[in-house]
Amino acid sequence: MLNSQQLDALRELGNIGAAHAATTLSTMLMSNIEMEVPEIDVLDIGKVHEHVGDELSAMVLFEINGEVSGGGYVLLHIPKNSVIRLTNAMLGMSEPDRDLTEMDQSALLEIGNIMVSAFLDATATLLNIIMLPSPPSLVIDMPHAAFQSILAMQEFADINEVVLFRTELHSDQHKITSNLFLLPNKPMLDEIVRMLENLMK
Amino acid sequence: MPSPDESLVIIGIGEYHVGNCPMSTIGLGSCIGLVIHDTVRATGGLVHIMLPDSQGRTDRPGKYADSAVELLVRELVQKGCKPTTLIAKIAGGAAMFRTTAGSLNIGERNIEAVKNRLKSRGIPVSAEDVGGNVGRTITYYPCENGKILVKIANGTLKNL
Repeated sequence: MLNSQQLDALRELGNIGAAHAATTLSTMLMSNIEMEVPEIDVLDIGKVHEHVGDELSAMVLFEINGEVSGGGYVLLHIPKNSVIRLTNAMLGMSEPDRDLTEMDQSALLEIGNIMVSAFLDATATLLNIIMLPSPPSLVIDMPHAAFQSILAMQEFADINEVVLFRTELHSDQHKITSNLFLLPNKPMLDEIVRMLENLMK
Repeated sequence: MPSPDESLVIIGIGEYHVGNCPMSTIGLGSCIGLVIHDTVRATGGLVHIMLPDSQGRTDRPGKYADSAVELLVRELVQKGCKPTTLIAKIAGGAAMFRTTAGSLNIGERNIEAVKNRLKSRGIPVSAEDVGGNVGRTITYYPCENGKILVKIANGTLKNL
């Protein structure tokens, strides 16, 4: 589906986007954010469950709009315990064992908006196009259930492979882990790869 | 009666398994976990359906509601099951994203397509946990009267 050069280019694109998202998170938490090298896996749809599980997590989902064909989503994934630590850190609270509340939901939407806008801005600037996030959808549930639903929405009738594009951001100080996922459908992926190849000419 | 194989088989999107060992699908959203269980032989199959209609595609029969029902029935009959002793249980078909109209349609269309195909095959649906907006992980135990354990994200369990 993708050769190694294309994978490298996508990884670099993800790196730049995630670095900008990490900066915004760092500002909000007034803490260092560590970032892993983006992972890009080309997976059979039957193997998605080996990478994305069913542990309770928050996911903030944005559809990608703008000057790019096809469809795609950016998704911020934060496991439940990290959500609580994140809200607590932002609001100066200390109550580690509690259920998620409306406060957490507001915090997630706010953080999701800021991080994903930064991610898309940076990637779009590199590609020299405009990409805008839709209003967010928040789901607090099983990650695989969310991913699987996105795949079903993306006209995956004829496609049995999915590109899982993931960057992990974490704060060691606050013990917060989060993942940014980019989930382009095939036409959007093809166009992004084509733009990246043009840039490298 | 065949002895149960205790290893748990995890079934990914579009995949299926037939036998008497416990089998599981993780994180069903709009997808459907369909179990067809033989009440006499303590055996059965689980398939992880993603979309309602194969439109004639044959490469992955487990991925679509129409071909998935046919696939499980065929496999079970090949193993010696009688169609008249088969029952079905279904879980999933949720709308995970309430603001995205498309996902709601797919979950509901999946449920409808599975039920229609089961009806035309004369297989009764003996239990279901479908719709809503929650993800589900299910585990099917052919050797325990075809019991299905449904888990939702907050950890709540129920028997089907």
